[in-house]
This record gives sequence, structure tokens and C-alpha cells, in this order.
Amino acid sequence: MASQTPAVVMDNGTGYSKLGFAGNDSPSFVFPTAIATKAGAGSAAGSGPGRPPVANKPSFLAGGAGASSHLSGKRGTEDLDFFIGDEALAAANGPGYGINYPIRHGQIENWDHMERFWSNSIFKYLRVEPEDHYFLLTEPPLNPPENRENTAEIMFESFNCAGLYIAVQAVLALAASWTSSKVTDRSLTGTVIDSGDGVTHVIPVAEGYVIGSSIKSIPIAGRDITYFVQSLLRDRGEPDSSLKTAEKVKEEYCYVSPDIVKEFARYDREPDRFLKHTVTAPNGRSVSIDVGYERFLAPEIFFNPEIYSSDFLTPLPNVVDGVIQSSPIDVRRGLYKNIVLSGGSTLYKDFGRRLQRDIRHLVDARIRASEARSGGARSGGLDVAVVTHKRQRHGPWFGGSLLGQTPEFRSYCHTKAEYDEIGPSIVRRFALLGGPGSS
Amino acid sequence: MSTSLRPYLQCVRSSLSAALAISNFASQTSERHNVPEIEAASSPELLLNPLVISRNYDERTFIEPSVNSVRVSLKVKQADEIEHILVHKFARFLTQRADAFLILRRKPVEGYDISFLITNFHTEAMLKHKIVDFVIEFMEEVDKEISEMKLFLNARARFVAESFLTPFD
Amino acid sequence: MLLLDYHNVLIHSLLTERFSGSTPVSIDQIVSDFDGVTFHLSTPESKTKILISIQVKCFRELVQYGAQQVLEREYGPYIVDPEPGYDFSVLIDLENLPAEQEAKDDLIMRLALMKRNAMAAPFERAFDEFAKLSEEASRYTTESAPQGVKEGGEVMAIHYREEEAMYIKASHDRVTVIFSTVFREETDRIFGKVFLQEFVDARRRVLTLQNAPQVLFRNDPPLELAGVPGLQNVNDGTLSYVTFVLFPRHLTPQRRYENISHIQIFRDYFHYHIKASKAYIHTRMRKRTADFLQVLNRARPENEERERKTASGRTFRVQG
Repeated sequence: MASQTPAVVMDNGTGYSKLGFAGNDSPSFVFPTAIATKAGAGSAAGSGPGRPPVANKPSFLAGGAGASSHLSGKRGTEDLDFFIGDEALAAANGPGYGINYPIRHGQIENWDHMERFWSNSIFKYLRVEPEDHYFLLTEPPLNPPENRENTAEIMFESFNCAGLYIAVQAVLALAASWTSSKVTDRSLTGTVIDSGDGVTHVIPVAEGYVIGSSIKSIPIAGRDITYFVQSLLRDRGEPDSSLKTAEKVKEEYCYVSPDIVKEFARYDREPDRFLKHTVTAPNGRSVSIDVGYERFLAPEIFFNPEIYSSDFLTPLPNVVDGVIQSSPIDVRRGLYKNIVLSGGSTLYKDFGRRLQRDIRHLVDARIRASEARSGGARSGGLDVAVVTHKRQRHGPWFGGSLLGQTPEFRSYCHTKAEYDEIGPSIVRRFALLGGPGSS
Repeated sequence: MSTSLRPYLQCVRSSLSAALAISNFASQTSERHNVPEIEAASSPELLLNPLVISRNYDERTFIEPSVNSVRVSLKVKQADEIEHILVHKFARFLTQRADAFLILRRKPVEGYDISFLITNFHTEAMLKHKIVDFVIEFMEEVDKEISEMKLFLNARARFVAESFLTPFD
Repeated sequence: MLLLDYHNVLIHSLLTERFSGSTPVSIDQIVSDFDGVTFHLSTPESKTKILISIQVKCFRELVQYGAQQVLEREYGPYIVDPEPGYDFSVLIDLENLPAEQEAKDDLIMRLALMKRNAMAAPFERAFDEFAKLSEEASRYTTESAPQGVKEGGEVMAIHYREEEAMYIKASHDRVTVIFSTVFREETDRIFGKVFLQEFVDARRRVLTLQNAPQVLFRNDPPLELAGVPGLQNVNDGTLSYVTFVLFPRHLTPQRRYENISHIQIFRDYFHYHIKASKAYIHTRMRKRTADFLQVLNRARPENEERERKTASGRTFRVQG
């Protein structure tokens, strides 16, 4: 069984799920981690004494019963009546369906919905018989082991998947950076900056293991940049300042400048830096809006959060520096040397370069200060490198795809037979995929 | 509720209430240890006579009292292999979450589907009669749940079969 | 989701996007489908030429039953030499597409149905054979028919999965399709039995299904398969045979296309629903477990909660 079939790689994030097969360079499907269920019926996990209804008259075809036969046919099959992904968003706009997001803050909150989400992902979108495939799933750092066990329970008991590996997203993001030409030694030590839609994490990883105590999150991520762009558009009174337009502007025109003061001056000197963006409304009407300073101001909120937020004021480079400084001293050099970007909000042009420069400034200043204090000792210097690569957007997924296609991947998985033998607790431990000793 | 169920549950309730007269008791065999004697079974004089209450061949309750702990094991009715597999699945699902259940034993006693281990620490922290209530309610609900799941399965199978065969026409 | 799609969603969405005139990009994707079918979508020469290759485990058998002809009929001008490692390839030139949107959509759908079309060959052959035999048979009375007509055509075996196979046999009054199914798991086996029993009973029970194909299910090879080589006769209960008897009304040219698609998806449909039921039972058990926990928590005395909060959010403990 499952002799040559490619492994299925599923990266279910808070906002989007990335599904596909190992060996591919991009996920086959990327859609919101959302499930639309029949309003009221699907919320089995909700409060109240009601339990899922049982069908006792399911023969919806039992002719002759009149109008009621149709209704009774619907009973007991509510759990099949749902949509996921983009279809869920569409269905939720219509009547009768309510939208649910089974993952919150990276962790699965509603297992009933997640199980059905997976079921549909596998059978409708990926079209695989789970018995024939190995699965690589991802989890956020610091995921409780119980969640892993629940995941394994679903994957093995409901779907009978052939084998399962659960990897930490940050570690996969490190593996994804191996495709960059700058990376030579394929180490699993590094600092991952994972910035998605809702939150940005800075995660130090030492030899494949996450240093949990040093993880820091920043409440600034893609959504905040969009809001910021939108507020700038509104201030200027552009004819269209919807969230969607702001998002488009963010994705198409934004970049990171080395110095905002100089950048302002350059815009004044070179008016061709101001752009026009044409928005086509669904009804065919199109309006043109100006795109100006927000091109470099928007991503700047990572580096100067005070221009956007009043309660979070630490710039990203300082956070990264702080994270590495709070990690064990013997891995810090490796963490500085390999700072890997992952997630859609790290894709701005020159984001990595600016980050590298700023962190290096901090590090150099500290070295100089300690040299001065020590009275004449010289430091050998510290290497700071931020790795950008082509697969950043779906970093964890791509890392999974990369590792999932290696010949030894299957030997790292727990198989169905092992699960049956030992039980869900088996997934508390996985051998480190891509760690030392593997090719 | 069928006629034989009520006396059966009543009997379990009184027997269990009586058996729950337990108190703190330090181990006699190893110093500074305090273990459920019913599990350790190291000193026969601390174990009381076990008791089987059975409703019929398929359904019975096994109560094993001791000085500081009581073990209650249930055998749930399994009329056919569908019920058998459902009971098995459900028991596994519950024991997987034994951490939250406090009194649930991770492994049932041989010959039974599910076991509870109630120690004096449980009876001290919780209301004794409510623990008994829980066991009784559990017994009632498990039967109901299994038969509902079986009903569901049959209904679903019927629905699925009909849906598949319809487009042929 | 009740019924599974016949086509591959990924191929469909990918081609729809490519065909709509968006800027060509290079593609290199391996895509899986049910029953171990693998597709490879790539742009080996230039970004506007999409090569779609399919690999089917039982392709050799399918060719024997005329798969090549069926595929040629469906994809005629697009066929190219199979890519190494694959069984069949088509090359689509984005600069050379049909002009009308309708024809484009049709082509997309046809490509997305490649697995279905490859597997359709033995069915088509059986349906044709049935037509021939029934014509012949109409010339005889039941008793006087020659042996060949009475017995029907040979059994076509398609080993579409490692342990499971499909057998198709045409007779003068029916086409019999037999699936051998294996359950590796105890739960699946029992659930499967319940499901299959309902498949068998549905026709008898429901009035509107009188005209549906007859379904039979047994644990030993049915009589139709007598003499077919390579049948495992292990009777440990893991292997069972599901027989669909398609009657003339299902074999008419109008119904033919739909019914071939539909019967092909049987195994996947069947397994999908077993899994969906297990998922639902999980849902129930989660709910029930939560209920039990609530009952157990009632046993804790209420006044245990000694920690209180002030309006400003500080906590303090009540003394005594």
C-alpha cells in the first residue's frame, strides 16, 4: 500500500489552509480555513442540552410521503451539509449558513469542524484515499500535546491515513529556506520571523527544536498594514478606500525604504514615484486612485510602530534582537546567522535587507559598547544574516513539501499500525525530520 | 425505562453508596506511600468482598470495594458486532480523555468495557452522592448513546445507498 | 457534500485559470487522484504549452479493453507521446485554444475527466457488447439460444488498486459490474457491512428505486467470476464482493455516459461515507463526553471557588 503515492502536505493556519502534495513547489490549494455549516444545526459543540439529531426517517426518497419526506430526508445528514474554503465564504453570504473558523491563534479550537474540514479537503479537493497516502501536518509552536493526540485520533481513526508526521511550522519554514542560494549548510538552527495576517511571531529554533521560552509575538501583521494603508487613503479622500483596495495597494505597490526621511525627499524630487491605481468595481465602473507615500510608509510600521500603534512601540529588529539575546548563549551565533522570513507579510521588497541592516546596527553597537567597557579587548564580530527566498509566502508548506518528498520521510512517520498498537500518545514524539543524520 | 432497568440501577446505586464508605489509609507494605488498595492488592485484609450486579448476561456491574478505594467496572450491552465496535470506540474515546474525568480508569478491568476507580481523595474533594449520581447517569446514557449511534449508522447507510442508486435512473 | 465529483477539481480550476487569458506561468505539479492515479501537469517547453500526463495503475489492462481508442476519441488532436513514467499525455497549447468560451469549458471539463475517461473503456466495451448480444438474442427464444449468447461475453478484470479489482461482464440482458473490496480495519469492515446491506435492500424497500441497478453482496466470489484467474479465495471476512447488475434501461446510449461516470466512483463514494460517518460519530462522542464531564463536575462542591476578582481585575482570596 501507498508505495509510490506522494505524501499529502497540509498546513492549516489561522487564516488560510495550504494543501498539496509533497514534491511540488507550491500548494495545490490555498483557501481560507473556514467552514460554513447550516446555522444552528452544525454547532454541536455549542452549549445547551441538544445533541446531534439522529435520523430516524432518512428515506428521503420514500415516495408518497409528501412534503414531509423531503424534510425528514434532511434530518441526520446535516453533518454532510457544509462547505469549506472559498465556497464557505460564498455560502455564508447566502441564507441558512453560518461561517466558522475552526482554528484560532494557530491552534485548533473546534475539533468537530476541523474534522469535517479535513474530510472535505481530502475527499473533495485533494481527491485522495487517505489509506494510500502519508500525511504531513503542521502545528504552531507550543502546541499542547493533547492537540496532537486529537489530531492523530482523527487522522488515524476517522480517515485511516497510512502514516502521519506532525511538524512545527517554524521548523518547516527553516527547511524551506534551504532553497535560497545563500544557505549552504542546511542547518535547522535559526530565527524564524513568521508574519501572516493576524500576528507576527519571532521564533528561535535550535537544531530543530523550538526555544519556547524565547518566542515573542508582535501584534502587527498583514491586516494592520492594510488598515494603515486604508487610513492613509481615507485621509487623502481617495474616491475608493475600501479594505479590498487597500489590500491591493499593499500587495502591489508597497516596499521597504532604507530611510523614510530621504524617501520623502525623493518623492518630492521625482514625481513619477507617485502612481495611479485603477480599481474596477464589480459593476464594471472603474475609478483611479493615487498611490503615494503609503508605498513605503505602510511596511514601515514594522520598523517604526509608533506611526501606527500607540500601545506597541518596539520595532521588529529590536524584538528579534531581544529574542535572540534571551535564548541560550551557545546558540545565539547560529540564530543571528540565519534569520529566516516566512509568511505573506514579509514579501515587501527590501524587507530582509532593511531588517538585516537594523539588527546589525544593534549588534554592532552592543559589541562596541562591551569592547569599550572591557578596555581594549577586540571582538571577532558577529555575523547577522536575514535569508529571503522565493518560497517565503507559503514557507511552512514548502518546507513540508521539501521534507515530505525525501526518501526517508516515511521512516519518520508514525504508521497506522503503530497507532493501533500504542494509541494516540505515540504522536507526542516524532524523530526530527531533516535533522542531523538525514540527507 | 424498561422494567428491569430501574431495579438494576437502584441496586447499583445502593451498593455503590455503601461501598463508598472509604477513608484515608496509608500503605502497610511500603512506608510513606498511599496507594489505592484495590489496585495494589498487597494486603488481603484491606479488600472487601467484590460484588457483581447483573441485569442480564450482557449487562453487569462489578464493584470491588477496599479500605480506601472502590473500583466500579461496567459491561455495556452489545447485541451485535456493530454495537460491539461502537462500545469499543466510545470506551477508547473516553479513556483517551481520562485526565479530565478524574475517576475514570485508563484501562478497563478484564472482561468489562469501562472502569472507574474512586479513591478516598475523590470522595473528600467531591460530594459522594454526586459521584454515585454520575456513575448511574453514565450507565443510563451510555446505553442510549450506543443505540442512537447505531440508529444513526443504519440511517446514514440507508441514505447513502439510496443517494447513490438514484442517479442511475 | 453528498456525492463526489467525477472530475479532478485541481485540474479543472488550474486550467480554467490558465484558459482565461491570465499571464502564462510555468507549472510543475504532481497531483493525485483516487485509486492511486497520478497526474503530472507541467510546462516543459514554454509557459504556454501545458503537458498533462496521467499514470494509472491498471493502464495496461485498460488498453487491452480499448482505453487507447476512448482516449483518442476524447483528446484526439492533443495527444502526444506519453511522458516517461506516465501512461498517457496530452499537450495543450494556450495560444491555440478554441475561440468560443463554451468549447473552452468543454475542453477543460474533458481534461479534468481524464481519469474517468481512461477507466471508462471497459465499461464502454461491455455496453457495446451488451447491445450486440441482446440483438443476437432477440433472434432466438430462451431455450434455443446458442451457448455464446446465453453466457455472454468474457469477464474483464481491472485491477485498479493493489488489493481490489473491478470485474465487468456483459450478457444479453444485463451488464454485471463486480467490485472486490478489502477492509483493513475492523471498524471499517463492520461499518462497510452495514452500508452494503443497505445498498442491497434499498431497491427492495424504496418504491422509486425499483429501476435502479440490483446490488448484491457476498463474501465469496460470485458465480460470474468462476474461472477468472488470480482470485483470492481467502475467507477471513476482509474481502467481499459487491455486484451491480445494470439492466438494459441503464445501458441506453442516453444514460450511458452518466452511468459509467457514476458506477466508477462507487468505491470512493462508499469509503468516503464510511469515513464521514466515523467523523460524525466522533462529533457525537465529543458532545457526549462534554456532557459527562459536566455531570461529574457537579459533584464538586460549589464553594470551592475561593478566588474572587475585584472590579479592577485583581484577585484576592476569601478568608475562611
